[in-house]
Amino acid sequence: MKTLLIIATFLAGLIASSQSNYEKGMTKAFELWENKNPDQAINLFERIARAEKENWIPFYYAARVHINTAFDSKDADEIESRLKKAQEYLNEAKTFSKNNAEISIMEAMLNMAYVAYNPSVYGMTHSAKVEELYLQAKTLEPENPRATLYHAEWKMGGAKYWGKDPKAFCPEIEKAILYFEKQSNHETPFYPTWGKDQIARVQQNCK
Amino acid sequence: MRSICTLLFIMLQSSIIAQTEISGTITDTKGIPIIGANIYLDGTYDGGTSNDNGSFTFSTSEIGVQTLVISFLSFETLYLSKEVEAMTHLKIVLKEDVNSLDSVILNAGTFAAGDNSKASVLTPLDIVTTAGSAGDYIAALQTLPGTSNVSEDGRLFVRGGDASETNVYIDGLQVFQPFTARTDNIPTRGRFSSFLFEGTNFSTGGYSAEYGDALSSVLLLNTIDEPDQETTDLQFINVGLGGGHTKKWENNSLSVNAFYVNVKPYQNIIEQRVDWIKPYESLAGEAVFRQQFDSGLLKVYGGLNYADFELVQEDINVPDGINFGLANRNLYLNASYKGSLGKDWDITTGASFANDHNKINIATTDVDNDENSAHIKLKLRKRFSNRFKLSIGAEQFLVNFNETAESPDFDTFRSSFDNNSTAIFTEANIFFSKKLALQLGVRGVQNTLIEDTKISPRASLAYKTSSKSQISMAYGDFYQAPQQEVLKYTSILEPEKSSHYIFNYLYQNNGRTLRAEGYYKKYHDLIKFDTEMPQFNSDFTNNGSGYAAGVDLFWRDSKSIKNLDYWVSYSYLDTERDYRNFPDSATPNFAATHTLSLVTKYWVEDWKSLLSATYNFGSGRPYNDPNESVFQNQKTRTFNSLNLSWAYLISPQKILYFSVTNVLDFNNVFNYQYSNTPNMNGEFARQAIRPNVDQSVILGFFWTISDNKTDNQLNDL
Repeated sequence: MKTLLIIATFLAGLIASSQSNYEKGMTKAFELWENKNPDQAINLFERIARAEKENWIPFYYAARVHINTAFDSKDADEIESRLKKAQEYLNEAKTFSKNNAEISIMEAMLNMAYVAYNPSVYGMTHSAKVEELYLQAKTLEPENPRATLYHAEWKMGGAKYWGKDPKAFCPEIEKAILYFEKQSNHETPFYPTWGKDQIARVQQNCK
Repeated sequence: MRSICTLLFIMLQSSIIAQTEISGTITDTKGIPIIGANIYLDGTYDGGTSNDNGSFTFSTSEIGVQTLVISFLSFETLYLSKEVEAMTHLKIVLKEDVNSLDSVILNAGTFAAGDNSKASVLTPLDIVTTAGSAGDYIAALQTLPGTSNVSEDGRLFVRGGDASETNVYIDGLQVFQPFTARTDNIPTRGRFSSFLFEGTNFSTGGYSAEYGDALSSVLLLNTIDEPDQETTDLQFINVGLGGGHTKKWENNSLSVNAFYVNVKPYQNIIEQRVDWIKPYESLAGEAVFRQQFDSGLLKVYGGLNYADFELVQEDINVPDGINFGLANRNLYLNASYKGSLGKDWDITTGASFANDHNKINIATTDVDNDENSAHIKLKLRKRFSNRFKLSIGAEQFLVNFNETAESPDFDTFRSSFDNNSTAIFTEANIFFSKKLALQLGVRGVQNTLIEDTKISPRASLAYKTSSKSQISMAYGDFYQAPQQEVLKYTSILEPEKSSHYIFNYLYQNNGRTLRAEGYYKKYHDLIKFDTEMPQFNSDFTNNGSGYAAGVDLFWRDSKSIKNLDYWVSYSYLDTERDYRNFPDSATPNFAATHTLSLVTKYWVEDWKSLLSATYNFGSGRPYNDPNESVFQNQKTRTFNSLNLSWAYLISPQKILYFSVTNVLDFNNVFNYQYSNTPNMNGEFARQAIRPNVDQSVILGFFWTISDNKTDNQLNDL
């Protein structure tokens, strides 16, 4: 009996250690990203994604690091190839998780990156996609704080462009703050919860 | 017992801890280290990233034979299977991925307009925001080099070829009547509304073996695969009104639109040279349905178009002019499917059908004709690797034509023919490296009406000379069956033939593009006849010939001046041909030696306005003066036109549009018509063939209604 118990404990330990492998890997990748090693982080996210199979989350973060890095880049070739790669990762993420609001939000940000980088080429074609994707995300999760916040920021940009008052969308930010507070820790580890720190930046439009 | 268990536990633990070191270096084919590559054991978390020297090292607890994956942006992913223990000091060489953005492109002869900013010289938006094009994509293509400015016609005249030498395809299937009905000196437009299309490929020569029956050029239009959103569009312009709607469902979508044109109110205000009895009136409707399947996409396009007009054409030989009336009805259907068959096989297949009916009245003659045409096509493509792809295809063309001509002067004259042909083609795409690519193709056509079989080879080669420039070359033989106007009377003829030799240089650097292309085109077996126009008693032969040689230059810059985007096209054309009823080899009237277009677009942020100006220049066009002894040795004055347009975005979804053509009111002459008989002084009198109107004005209001309120119709202007 005792032996069985030991074996059982041992097996449980094995399972736990394989579980923590994923967590260790993901945590390491986030560290790499924080320490300004985006490409190493992307590589690790991709390795985890390929090993995990049927898990959209590492693909999602691989795309996210590419998109964030593209936003900071000035090099046209780098931006184009990062965004292209990010789209591939998101497409893979979508095959494992259909109708996922978080993936729609990330895809909206990807299209925003295209618009920001070359408005004369991509402005007209990709703006409609951005809007469509945010709407899609909000339909799936009406109280998603990221969709609410970033959609409001996008709308504010549009309002400023058209000479209208961006403050019209400030109540949306208030809603986003509320949704961030209500946001419960998801049972899936590493489920996206980011974005709260961006509220202040977006709120500058309301001053 | 307990100690055994402990021992077992320790042994197991240690076997987990036992680590193997994997190491190596990664370089490209030239030995230059690759930094940042992702190296990992397939199916595990174990891996690393190559450092500044291209070297990597990581440890794993895996044992036995494993697959090491090495991947990096714009390189082909490498898979290496061997014993983990042997994976030390690996020397890994990655091959460039020839599908990446900076690869050489096979572009000789071709202008691509698409979203891929690297490969295309124009975006879809450019095509429709060009001043003077009035939303007609054909008119916008006429600002590209290689086209002649024949604004009294409106169709595409490419590199010394006449309008019949260009074929138009939608989603790979032929459009049999791409232009609206017209008559002499009344310019036509494309039949299709530009906003249904997202990609355009305009080849001015040396095109793929997939296309045939065109001596000079092909225009490939692709309908939108998936619309971005649901919208309703309304258009109000001074000569008509239209509307459209797009509806999306889970896996399919439907777009419909209709447009009504009536130029009568406009013509009452603006004076016309033509004496209209019934001004141009047309009604057009289109619909596209798209269905997404797991591994493919089905698109069905349908267009129905009705137009009529009646006018009195000036004619120097007929003092009262010639009464000309036309009513045209055109139905076009096109269904295409593209998808994957698995194992790297792709399929593209479809069919198009057209029914074109004309009722024409010329003075006292009534002509009634009806043409049914169909095109059925199947193409398979196998991707053997990124570097080698092969496509094979077969297609069938069916054309049935019937015409009845009645006149008090002669008995009812009936003509009809069935012009059917079968073609097969194959093409190989070979990338030797990212820098060197080759496309080889061959096409065979059998025509049952003229009982003839022809084989035509096609080849295209491209070499990247630096990261920003490349050269390419193309060669091809092209055959074209005789046109309807000839087949009505005889089928004992050979197809006409041309051979193209093209050399292209392309330079692209951060928003600036230079494209220079030189070409030589040889024409053989052109059709000749011994009457003024083809008719039942003409003597037809294949004894004609000709050539065209020239240089096309294109420069585009959207970076140097903020908010200003412009392009310049210049074409030099040297061409002569002996065809139709020409007594000798001569330059035809449509071919000017020098053609220049300058297109500018300036976005004024504060005014929310896109201002566009287009200047077109053409050197004098040849015409024949019977008072001279040499055939076709005179030239008209030069052609000049400055067109302006202003699109004002009232709000994101409402656009006010205003355009004027030829604002400086240049007096342009296209040709001269001479009387058939000399006057009392022994001279042939003449009259100038001039534009129907010197200037035209378009005023429009475009309103888009969509859920998301950002889309608008700037794309369609």
